[in-house]
Amino acid sequence: MKNVGLVSGQNSGVGPAFPAIEMTSGMKILRPWQRLCDLNGATLDYVLLLPAFLLLALIVVYPIGRLFYNSFLDLRLSSSVDAAQFVGLQNYADVFHDGEFWMALRNTVLVVVITVPGALVVGLGLALLANQVRRARALLRLSLLLPWALPLSFTGLIFAWFFHSEYGVVNDVLQRLGGIEPRMWLTQAWSASAAIWLTIIWKTSSFMALILLAGLQMIPRSLYEAAEVDGASAWQQFRHITLPMLTPSILVALIFRTITALQTFDIPYTMTHGGPGQATETLAMLIHKTTIDYLDVGYGSTLAVMMFVLSLLLSMVYIRFVGRGGGQ
Amino acid sequence: MLKCWLAGIALAASFTASAAEEIQLHVFSGGANQRPDLIRKIFDDYEHKHPGVKIQLETGGATSELQRQYLSTVLSAKDSTLDLLALDIVNPAQFSAAGWLEPLDAYLGAGKEKRLKEYLPAYARSNVIGGKLVALPFVADAMFLYYRKDLLEKYKQPVPKTWDELASVSRKIQEGEKGNLQGLSFQGAAIEGAVCTFLLPYWSQGKELQDANGKLSLDKPAAVRGLKSWLSLVDQGVAKKNTAEVTTGDTVNEFKAGKVLFGINWGFAWDRFQQDKDSAVRDKVGVAVLPALAGGKSASCIGGWQWGVSAFSKHKAESVRLAEYLSTPEVAKYLAVEGSLLPVYPQVYTDPDVVKAVPWFASAGPVVQSARSRPVSPRYSEVSDKIRTVTHAALAGATSPEQAVDDIESGLVRVLR
Repeated sequence: MKNVGLVSGQNSGVGPAFPAIEMTSGMKILRPWQRLCDLNGATLDYVLLLPAFLLLALIVVYPIGRLFYNSFLDLRLSSSVDAAQFVGLQNYADVFHDGEFWMALRNTVLVVVITVPGALVVGLGLALLANQVRRARALLRLSLLLPWALPLSFTGLIFAWFFHSEYGVVNDVLQRLGGIEPRMWLTQAWSASAAIWLTIIWKTSSFMALILLAGLQMIPRSLYEAAEVDGASAWQQFRHITLPMLTPSILVALIFRTITALQTFDIPYTMTHGGPGQATETLAMLIHKTTIDYLDVGYGSTLAVMMFVLSLLLSMVYIRFVGRGGGQ
Repeated sequence: MLKCWLAGIALAASFTASAAEEIQLHVFSGGANQRPDLIRKIFDDYEHKHPGVKIQLETGGATSELQRQYLSTVLSAKDSTLDLLALDIVNPAQFSAAGWLEPLDAYLGAGKEKRLKEYLPAYARSNVIGGKLVALPFVADAMFLYYRKDLLEKYKQPVPKTWDELASVSRKIQEGEKGNLQGLSFQGAAIEGAVCTFLLPYWSQGKELQDANGKLSLDKPAAVRGLKSWLSLVDQGVAKKNTAEVTTGDTVNEFKAGKVLFGINWGFAWDRFQQDKDSAVRDKVGVAVLPALAGGKSASCIGGWQWGVSAFSKHKAESVRLAEYLSTPEVAKYLAVEGSLLPVYPQVYTDPDVVKAVPWFASAGPVVQSARSRPVSPRYSEVSDKIRTVTHAALAGATSPEQAVDDIESGLVRVLR
């Protein structure tokens, strides 16, 4: 950083009218306008980065800053009063007394705690199976990719039909198998949540499997061969070779999944619209409802800030964890 | 779908911009239940009579709450792409409080008072907000009890006057028919119609949700009794178990397929039963006043559509003129005859042509006149959302009726104050 503006004499393209000041060390100090024309080294780096930085500032920094600002306002687009009122921390105080917020937070945390490990286990199983297959690998990888490639809202709608009490395949199969009475899966709090978790696990396991499969294929076969010579069982090989070698891939997959699980919106929105009551409403859905349906931008921004802080905290925990893991 | 429409409209607008004389009006007419086919024909006629005016019709949003969501997105952005809007009767209060509707008083001038006196009083009332006329009534609506005339005759049963009577008549006929006949179909999904589902038995006990100042005045025992009366119909097997999944469209389709004895629905459904090609119940349908709770009085939920002019429109005067035309007895009569849409003018109900086309309209007038309004509030989106999600949860059995009524109270007490 210290070298900004100081460049070695050889590369200076300055005209003779303003000779740069010679320094005893052989370095020259450039006048400001000379610096501008004499772009190389660190300065050039910064100038070249500037457009990208400005773009990021416009589409990332400004909206986030504006979100924080809005969260201190009483700003309702449904009111004819155009001017927003500055209310300080009032919105934040309201959040802590808002039963809907805590319920949505609970539902979101449940989605994270259940679907992330769920997808990891199923994804790991899929990846291990796929790794055993020797033939038709391209086909296998394609079929692994399909659930991942399907849009979230389609997945939600498809599974909503599966679980529909009258037209759904789930009730039909249960009835044919064991004569079980048709159930209303999506209108009971726990079964609706379970149906949503199942759908999310189905949808996201393939992404897990793809990352883990890539990790599995990087483990050298020689390790397993050596273990076999030493008489290690299949479980011991998994426990002491596969799992440790796979840890970095697992962590990457977990970080991605956790962040997206926190933002869960499409699948519950299309399957239950948050119902019955508020039993399956996630934080993202509450933010959407408050901001888009109620047009309460101030409070909606406050809720969004809460979610932002939550994902930030979670990412920091993971990054520390990964940093330590990588240092071993 | 909407985006596609908007893109199309923008494209059309850019083409016609060169023809300076011609005015393009963009009209949002709601979903399929508001009969865009008939509205288009009225517009064609209007364009013919008013050269220089071209009307683009935009439709979208299958349900009232989806339409509200779409319109409030467009209007809160102060977007000028829509000129004239069809509004569900619950919306003028909210939209006008937000400053999205152009007051029409100045445009109508001296003719305003005379015009207002001609409408059914409920529609004149709900479109005057804070002393200003903000929308012109288009079609009326209310909830009715549809019944299978043929089945009631076959079993020599009367048209029920109370819910208890309806339950016993249903059970008798369901036993006799032995098939999958549902006794009653009503709306339990978390849609706008579920607000009425909550209010019908509540009102039937003579209770109000708001006092004269618009403050919440929830009679909790009455509300609990109302929800329990629906649940008991489900428990008795009169209504099907998954009533919490039923939307207005499901009630129409199942009744049309002949699977339902009694159906609670809006006036527009009549046309579907009589005219749809796949209807199995043509000429077998009767319409009656909704039953009352024992010891109570029948109450219906008022519906209907109005034309509001966007405050951001660039062609306000032309839009008001079109709205005035759409809100005439002639148009009301056309919609009644062609689409069985209920008129907002009392005399049209007894017009000979109308009575010939839709005989039951003669007795529908009093029902519409006595139908009640859902809560009036600038924050109606929140009111509606609370009532319908909680009613849905109670009908699904996910919350007890007592808990549901507590939830409604705690949700509404902050909004209706």
